[in-house]
Amino acid sequence: MGRVAGKKLFSIMALCAMVGLLLLPIAVSLPSLAMGADAPDAVKKDGEAKVEKGRDVYYKTEGIVVGAPAPKTVDGPRDYPRYNFESRVLLWFANQQHLYYGSFVLAVPIFCMVIEFMGVVTKDKAMAKRYDQLAYDFIKISLTAYSLTAILGGILIFTFLTLYPAFFGYLSGIFRPVMHIYALMFVAESGTLYIYYYGWDKMREGFLKWIHLSMSVILNVIGTLLMFLANSWIGFMMSPAGVDEQGRYLGNIWHVIHTALWNPLNVHRILGNMAFGGGVVAAYAAYKFLASKTDEDRAHYDWMGYIAMALGVAFLIPLPFAGYWLMREVYAYRQQMGITLMGGLLAWLFIIQATMIGILFLSTNYYLWQALGRMRGAEKYQRYIKYLVFVLCCGYLVFITPHTIVMTPAELKAMGGQQHPVLGNYGVMSAKNGGINVIITTTILSFVWYMRGNKVSTVSWSKFGNIFMGVFFGCAYVNIIWLAIYGYYIPANVRVGLSVPQVATTLSCLFFMFALNTAMMKGAKQMGAIEWGKISVRSQYALIMLATAFTWMMGLMGYIRSSVRLFWHVNEIMRDNSPWAYTHTVGFAANMISFNVLFFWVSILFVFWLGSLGMKKAPVEAKAGVPGGAPQPAGGH
Amino acid sequence: MGMTIVYVLVSLVVCISYFLAVDHFLMDSQGLDFWYLFRK
Repeated sequence: MGRVAGKKLFSIMALCAMVGLLLLPIAVSLPSLAMGADAPDAVKKDGEAKVEKGRDVYYKTEGIVVGAPAPKTVDGPRDYPRYNFESRVLLWFANQQHLYYGSFVLAVPIFCMVIEFMGVVTKDKAMAKRYDQLAYDFIKISLTAYSLTAILGGILIFTFLTLYPAFFGYLSGIFRPVMHIYALMFVAESGTLYIYYYGWDKMREGFLKWIHLSMSVILNVIGTLLMFLANSWIGFMMSPAGVDEQGRYLGNIWHVIHTALWNPLNVHRILGNMAFGGGVVAAYAAYKFLASKTDEDRAHYDWMGYIAMALGVAFLIPLPFAGYWLMREVYAYRQQMGITLMGGLLAWLFIIQATMIGILFLSTNYYLWQALGRMRGAEKYQRYIKYLVFVLCCGYLVFITPHTIVMTPAELKAMGGQQHPVLGNYGVMSAKNGGINVIITTTILSFVWYMRGNKVSTVSWSKFGNIFMGVFFGCAYVNIIWLAIYGYYIPANVRVGLSVPQVATTLSCLFFMFALNTAMMKGAKQMGAIEWGKISVRSQYALIMLATAFTWMMGLMGYIRSSVRLFWHVNEIMRDNSPWAYTHTVGFAANMISFNVLFFWVSILFVFWLGSLGMKKAPVEAKAGVPGGAPQPAGGH
Repeated sequence: MGMTIVYVLVSLVVCISYFLAVDHFLMDSQGLDFWYLFRK
């Protein structure tokens, strides 16, 4: 009894320590934040005449200048020291790898938190144990990746210091009041993660489990705050605020952090990281599934892959809407920047992005249709899949149609202009919005079918429910397509607003139809258990495809976002005077992204392999296979 | 069969009304007129 009480006391102390670690950076930052306010006073002591005021380039408020102007760099060894290689490409590589790993280790603990919570609240003890094992498997993968993230972060900083000292000096000067907060948050994140991981077995029952779960919440709060801080740097580079037109800091760090694009970037990155993390874990599960020797292992990794994929796709579905918001804010901040992105220099990269988004959704749907095969009773949906394929292909083809095509003069003449007389009509946002919403709605429909694959509703109103669901989806398709066509007949300023009801239509399907389906399937008759592990090998390749496409698209979008600054380090504040202040060709960018993706996957395979070494050494619990039942954990902790 | 037709009709009325309301009010909330083409 005394030992249990001691454990509880220790757990509560650990939790308090984590809360303390979380609050520590804020406490430490108070003098620093105050320093920003004190500095002008210090200036005042020398006389009012020395106080210089500046006007915030974004907030348009006046502030006392406390920072140095942005350096006017010149191409030379002082501002741009270099190796015998393009510095930008080296930085691109270091940055991208750090981002991949950073995204992964921020996303996976969120999955752990969700899955551990599911395990705690579920009444089925066997199921609770499986969820717990799954959450543990997830965090184990991220732990090795975490060390690599820190190493890559160090490499990134050294790359900045070595190759772009003037720019890095300026940026770190602007963010000086929060730089140490970032470092301390990283310490807090590491401490919390290690206690969370190594305390798993000691805190697996009752009250201690809730304490352990609370730790995961704190871990994720710290991780999210870390990401928000990192986002403020890129937000500042794209849409600077809190400085005057010479780039001098005006003493308000909140203005520097809270730039025009900070919030959309935060939302977009959280969703993107989650989708990416889900994809990587799903690929890990697929790899383990393909390498499995026993049915039990196959069942476990099939289940793991499905959960990771479902979580990833849950965040993928709202991702295009978050992207749309980000682009809208970019246009609101600087119209020219938006045009460069979507209608000018970088427009072709958006066609590639559309292609990748389409691949993501096609892979997801394909996996779900394959997954129907492991359920008895799901055969009834198989004959309708061809219609979904048709709808998806139509949406996809419209979505990837470019507005104009790169052509030779002879081709241009033969076609009668830059736009194809028929297909050119689809290369506008009105059609593309329709295309992507049709794709997402179809994915939602596939999910609904999967959720009810082996079940027959027994509620008294099931007939009406089924008809209502069919009509709702039908009307949603009609509304999305109608709005897309309607957009051609009204002026641009009215048309731009149609995207909002289109998105609302898709989200209505997501929320209402999932809720309706859940209500209809309450107490439903099961046609047979889900036979985990009895899924085609092709489905696992679809998961790997999904993860690879996520990785490639993340690299692409990062490049697009960064390239839109053109020849500026900090947009309109600090000019890039290095020899590499030009936009690469699409082909070079694609090769570089592919190289980054390849490097990431080779290195993450190494991480998986390291994880598997630990798994072999761990004591393996006796496994009691349940025929046709849910999977058993592949191994003990 | 009779009830099926009733269910379909009720569903159609509910869904069409809902989506028209979504279109109208979400455009209205942006200060835009959803019925622009029909008023011209």
